[in-house]
Amino acid sequence: MLKRNPLVLGNKTLKDVSDDICAPIERIPSKEWMGLFLGAKGLFIFYILTIAMVISTGIGLLGVNHPVAWGTMIITFVFWVGIGHAGTLISAILFLFRQKWRTSVARSAEAMTVFAVATAGIFPLIHTGRPWLDFWLFPYPNQRGPLWVNFRSPLLWDVFAVSTYATVSSVFWIVGMIPDLATVRDRAKNAIRKKIYGALSFGWRGTAKQWSHFEMIYLVLAGLSTPLVLSVHTIVSFDFAVSQLPGWHTTIFPPYFVAGAIFSGFAMVITLMTLVRIGFPEFKNYITIDHMEVMNKIIMMTGLMVGYAYGAEFLIAWYSGNDYERYVFMNRAMGPYAWSYWIMVSCNVLVPQLFWFKKIRRSIPIMFVVSIFVNIGMWFERFVITVTSLHRDFLPSNWGQYAWSIYDTAILVGSFGMFFTIFLLYLRVLPAISIAEVKPVLNVGKEDEHHGKGH
Amino acid sequence: MAKKAIGGIAGIFLDEATTVNAATRVREAGFTKFDALSPYPIHAMEAACGIKRSPIPYVTFVAGCVGLLAALALTYYTSAVDWAINVGGKPMFSLPAFVPIMFELTVLFAALSSVGAFFYLCGIPRIDPPIIDKDITCHKFAIFIPENDVGYSADRAEKLLKDLGAVEIKKMAEY
Amino acid sequence: MSNTENKIQSDNENRKIERDSTYWRSFEELNNTPEFQKSLQTEFMSSPLREESKDEGSETDGVARRDFLKLMGASIALTSAAGCIRRPVQKIVPYNKQPEEVTVGVSNWYTSSYFDGQEGLGLLVKSREGRPVHISGNPKFPLNGNGASVKAQASLLGLYEPNRLQKPFRNLFNEKRTNKETVGVSWEELDTKVVESLQKGGVAILSGNISSPSTKAVIGDFKAGFNADHYVWEPLADDVVEAQASSYGEAVMPGFRYDKAQMIVSIDADFLGTWGPTMTNNKRFADGRRNIDKMSRLVSFDSTYSLTGANADIRFRIKPSQQFDVVMGLISEIVGKVSVSDAVKTAVAPYNGIADKLGISAEAFKKVAADLVKNQGESIVVAGGIQTKTKDSMALQVAVNYLNSILGNDGKTVVAGAGNKNLTASFAQIKNLIAKMNAGDVKTLIIYRSNPFYSLSADLGFAEALKKVPTVVYSNDKMDETAVNAHYVATDNHALETWGDSEFATGVYGIHQPLIRTMYDTRSFQLSLMTWAYMAKVGPKRIQEFETYYDYVRNLWKTEMAAKVAGGKDFESFWNGFLQEGFVGELATTGSARTFKGDVSSLKKSQSSDATFELALYPTVNIGDGTLANIGWLQELPDVVTKIVWDNYACVSIKTAEANKLREGDVIELTVGGNKLSLPTHIQPGLHDQVVAVAVGYGRTHAGDVAKGIGQNAFTLAQGGLYAGLPVEFKKTGQKIELVTTQGHDSMEGRQIVVTATNKDIQKSKDANIHRHHTWNIWSGHQYNGHKWGMAIDLNTCTGCSACMTACQSENNTAVVGKKYVMQGREMHWIRIDRYYTGDVENASAVFQPLMCQHCDNAPCETVCPVVATVHSSEGLNEQIYNRCVGTRYCSNNCPYKVRRFNWFNYAKLIEKPMHMALNPEVLVRARGVMEKCTFCVQRIKEGKNKAKIEERPLKDGDIKTACEAACPTQTIVFGDLNDENSRVAKVFKAEPRAYELLEEWYAKPSVRYQTKIKNNDQVTPKKGGGHA
Repeated sequence: MLKRNPLVLGNKTLKDVSDDICAPIERIPSKEWMGLFLGAKGLFIFYILTIAMVISTGIGLLGVNHPVAWGTMIITFVFWVGIGHAGTLISAILFLFRQKWRTSVARSAEAMTVFAVATAGIFPLIHTGRPWLDFWLFPYPNQRGPLWVNFRSPLLWDVFAVSTYATVSSVFWIVGMIPDLATVRDRAKNAIRKKIYGALSFGWRGTAKQWSHFEMIYLVLAGLSTPLVLSVHTIVSFDFAVSQLPGWHTTIFPPYFVAGAIFSGFAMVITLMTLVRIGFPEFKNYITIDHMEVMNKIIMMTGLMVGYAYGAEFLIAWYSGNDYERYVFMNRAMGPYAWSYWIMVSCNVLVPQLFWFKKIRRSIPIMFVVSIFVNIGMWFERFVITVTSLHRDFLPSNWGQYAWSIYDTAILVGSFGMFFTIFLLYLRVLPAISIAEVKPVLNVGKEDEHHGKGH
Repeated sequence: MAKKAIGGIAGIFLDEATTVNAATRVREAGFTKFDALSPYPIHAMEAACGIKRSPIPYVTFVAGCVGLLAALALTYYTSAVDWAINVGGKPMFSLPAFVPIMFELTVLFAALSSVGAFFYLCGIPRIDPPIIDKDITCHKFAIFIPENDVGYSADRAEKLLKDLGAVEIKKMAEY
Repeated sequence: MSNTENKIQSDNENRKIERDSTYWRSFEELNNTPEFQKSLQTEFMSSPLREESKDEGSETDGVARRDFLKLMGASIALTSAAGCIRRPVQKIVPYNKQPEEVTVGVSNWYTSSYFDGQEGLGLLVKSREGRPVHISGNPKFPLNGNGASVKAQASLLGLYEPNRLQKPFRNLFNEKRTNKETVGVSWEELDTKVVESLQKGGVAILSGNISSPSTKAVIGDFKAGFNADHYVWEPLADDVVEAQASSYGEAVMPGFRYDKAQMIVSIDADFLGTWGPTMTNNKRFADGRRNIDKMSRLVSFDSTYSLTGANADIRFRIKPSQQFDVVMGLISEIVGKVSVSDAVKTAVAPYNGIADKLGISAEAFKKVAADLVKNQGESIVVAGGIQTKTKDSMALQVAVNYLNSILGNDGKTVVAGAGNKNLTASFAQIKNLIAKMNAGDVKTLIIYRSNPFYSLSADLGFAEALKKVPTVVYSNDKMDETAVNAHYVATDNHALETWGDSEFATGVYGIHQPLIRTMYDTRSFQLSLMTWAYMAKVGPKRIQEFETYYDYVRNLWKTEMAAKVAGGKDFESFWNGFLQEGFVGELATTGSARTFKGDVSSLKKSQSSDATFELALYPTVNIGDGTLANIGWLQELPDVVTKIVWDNYACVSIKTAEANKLREGDVIELTVGGNKLSLPTHIQPGLHDQVVAVAVGYGRTHAGDVAKGIGQNAFTLAQGGLYAGLPVEFKKTGQKIELVTTQGHDSMEGRQIVVTATNKDIQKSKDANIHRHHTWNIWSGHQYNGHKWGMAIDLNTCTGCSACMTACQSENNTAVVGKKYVMQGREMHWIRIDRYYTGDVENASAVFQPLMCQHCDNAPCETVCPVVATVHSSEGLNEQIYNRCVGTRYCSNNCPYKVRRFNWFNYAKLIEKPMHMALNPEVLVRARGVMEKCTFCVQRIKEGKNKAKIEERPLKDGDIKTACEAACPTQTIVFGDLNDENSRVAKVFKAEPRAYELLEEWYAKPSVRYQTKIKNNDQVTPKKGGGHA
């Protein structure tokens, strides 16, 4: 078998692993962290105020109008849901493929997933005209005489898909964390700390029986999450694909969206991991350049897939011979919103091509910049899909433009405040790397005779 | 599974290999109810302690089926029976449109029940369980022989574990 | 009688006697109930005619009457309790004593009429619990029929305008006669002061056209009493009537029978949009085109892009100075084909082959002439409106009259006998008035509903002249530009509060019933005159003796008018029938050809054509002369051609724009003579390259809060009553004003949206140019037993007049959102009229398409609504359930026609009192955050079904009319039951070869069918290859 680089550097002992990973939780936060946290928190509060404003005055504060009835909120919703894919992908699919390198990034990736989905989940709720009635989207028995929801509506599929995904991925995340929380508990110096982590770890002990069940549930959840993670963005894509709007009504959407999701998800993981490595230098030994490189490869691959989808859309639009379809795509590339289309293409297709070069794949600063570009590009992908399809549809008399307002900006920027607030908190209070999963792979890629240990 | 408190003897080990080997030996010595504790999952351990495959997958399967049927029932009853109404010229029971719902509920039911089963089988959540040694969740390993085990005697167990390389022997009042 | 009622009664007696009566007859009321009889005889309590009913116990009758009055008022008061503006004393009367024709929750329709100074309309006004809520045309009325112009419909809102004056006022002036302060006065004070100055003599009355015999009688009596002069002037007055006088010796606006004409040539006469009785014209024009085998041809020589030009089969773009050339050119073309005098021959000789000079293809021009000759006696040549008010206006009109005469149209398609003799307004008269004022001969000037300070160009010096008039009394319901310069404002009622009658066409008399008791302390102009005459003890007996104008009117009819038209019926039943029908008299259909007395040979052209740019002022369909500028419905109604809202602008052609580097919205400063005006540019396809067209009626300064700061006053560019052909210069100012349009894009991009075919295509195959698609369903589909509602829209008769839009807005309480939000694409119209340009941009021709919810059987909007807030009814309606709607707006995204409207903000909250009284109680006012759209007027469907049920008869086709259908002058929109195979819609759906579904290939299965638009221009449409076009 081919020789692989060690997954963990610097000959760590089991104890070192625990010490290193628990360090951020146990020490006083650094100034940098405080700075970042306060910044994010301020943005978060601003976000909350904006939402309050919009809900109390009316969704008309945003740029949504006739004909473009969906805008920033839906765009950003899809954006965050997309990001919330990498985590489960890493922890589930790569687990099933027995990709050992996943162990050290899995935890944070999953955390990112959960938080991203949480951030995304806000939007469908607040983008409605009467958010206080959102609960009507759930099929609950009521006194209003037979009154149910419309199970034919993709939006309702969305409600089920996103809530299921949110539930399962957080469960997956929490279950995986139990043994580590037990570790933190047992290292705890003071009683309160012991109590809290004791509760969080559900009284885990690490007996052989528990471990065997643990491995099993992990396998099961992985097995369930794999189709789930693929289904979520498929169903999100149905919001568009099931409609009859040229530019939305496309069968390529499900795979195209999933690829895009993974693409953006990994980009966000790279962004965060580079930051984490800077913030917590001791993690450099666990989240190694090798890890980053693998993820960059995935980014490049999915980037190509997305690029293929862009091309395929045009081909089919032309091949269909449908005037409306053809017009929409010509309009995307040449119409009033061409700028957004070309931002999308260059960020998502051209920039990732840099990763063909090993040097670039392994250079932290460059990959950071690239990942940012990809994030931008993926937001614009959703912008292009939503706005450019809507703004010029069947009857030319309907044609219009999206009336972008400061509230759109506020909502978009604010959502990052929410995401980073939660993520920074997570880095402080929970083990950011899966201790129990790293330990078995300590020796992978070291002296050959140790091979097979752990697995 | 909350058992009433039973004491026993625990031996602390320092590395994976010795522990696995020890576990095998203890089992050969005729003990059946003993348990091995480790900071991370050790696959060899299951064989060593003779632990049977976890039953969780059966739960998963059954729960999944239940979820599927529940979703089917819900969509059928609400759209075709209780409130049959012409929506977009589609049939009252538009099965293809209900598939996503059915899929999601299948997964949801399966996942949550499995986790439930996992908690049940592991006997958690458990309020402050007895800790043999704090470091067992960190870098140490342990084998525990309960006093109610077949042919258990404190000295025998202690000797056995020492021989097998336990660096430390602990008498536990409860386990 | 309970104490409260005693109190009320006494209060009632203490109060000054009711002026305008609140009496009317219900339109439906045919049965003569005893109460009805009684009220008939007791209604003249206040008049000497009471001796009629002496035989009965008149005192009790009196009480009965007053009770009736109170209750009437109370019924209104109670139902409009919220923020009610009634006198409290009436609020406490229990509703259970309601007058017999008012039933809570049931609407009554009353006949009435509307006159905007130019156009007269017979109306039906809908009243709920005693307050008018909707206006539409009186189908039986011989002129407009169904049609009610947008202005007439919107005048309803004027009644409830917050800016309306609520009592008489007095303006205190400083020495420079500029307004210092406005104070309220009591009627008593005002009357005494006014009468004092009236008695000094030198009395003059200035008013717009007056079409009411009674008002004319009152004014006549008043003139007799104070030997006053009456000057009639309208800002939009043209020279047609004067030219008629000089050509035929009778001052009349003839009745044009567009329905009888085969060939119509319009020289800047926008008879479909803004000139003459537009609704009548629309009706007749459509009638002349309904039969597609022999439909009329409309040729338009257009210097602005008028609605008539937009409907023309052949449209030539000209500049105002060429109008006269065109007519003379046409005459010269037909010389020889019809007999003309040698003098004329020589006179028109120079105009031979003028076409090239006009930049028009000579052969096309010849063809026009040829068609005129071919259709002698069945053609119309018409010119008119302020677009023709060039230096040559008179000459133009005379030439046109001559042309009609030699073509033998006079008496056949141009019927003087069916014309309107009341449109006597002219600039000559106001010039005389100004002269007299300057001479100091006018001591007291009474201005009635005329606003020279706004709409008269400064060069005529009205303002200065007015300073020389010691007492100026103004009678109107707004503190407008002229009102602030009057000493006294004798606040007038709103038309819907006043009795009246009308004569819109010789021999056809209309009644004008008030729909509501005066809401405020106002008094009709007529009653003011009567009161002043009464106080001064001058004038004939009748003007002094009556206490209410109603009594005056009724007496006039009893004593004079009835004799002409009653046809021997006794007055009561005649009067009763008159009120029920809304009109009496026959409309002359033909007349004898009059001898042309004019002299064509001496007609000289004085208007030079060599200015680089010529000004063309025009009124718009919705704003007109600006009188109703303060009504939101009208401001938000897209201009019929440009589709721009809330603004006026300078239209220039595309070439001109390119040459001068003008982009849409660039502000340019126009200079006409000494006058400057800055306006945003609108680039108008099909406009002559040397024309700058600007709409009048905007830039009101004192119209009210709505009109404030909307557009610029283009009347200031006029000169001495000339509106067109004035040399104009413009330069870019560098500013930019966003022009807001409701039409996103002007071209159909080759899609099958409005299918147009030419008469030649249609001769080949009736369904020419319709690309049909093969569609099929994967399952049996839902069945519709019982009713299945559908609508048919004939694009060939739709003229784009937009009456349906206002009707819908009024019927369905759709919100007005204002310029800013229309700019963001948030207008709320449920029905809209799309206008697409076709052909080359230089001479673009236009097509119109009314678009509302298509009520698709496979409605894409329904499928995607997560909460089932929009579903399909068993009768095929696509229903929107407002209170279930959460507002995901997915339905709008998935609607191929994008006809859904979303409540982005809480618009209902913005309705200012008492505007809420104009809301239709039968239609829910939508909350913030819900989607809304056309319902096919489901409330009318219910009403119709109930009515049929009560009368125990099956529903007949036409029983149910949607608001848009009811307002449509051309019967373009037809609504009915598809399951009733005899219904008009069913026939169209099944048999009509021109019928097609919009976006058929999307298989939404709409319940609306459109019918091909036909351009009768003898062309053949070149076949397009492939695509869905």
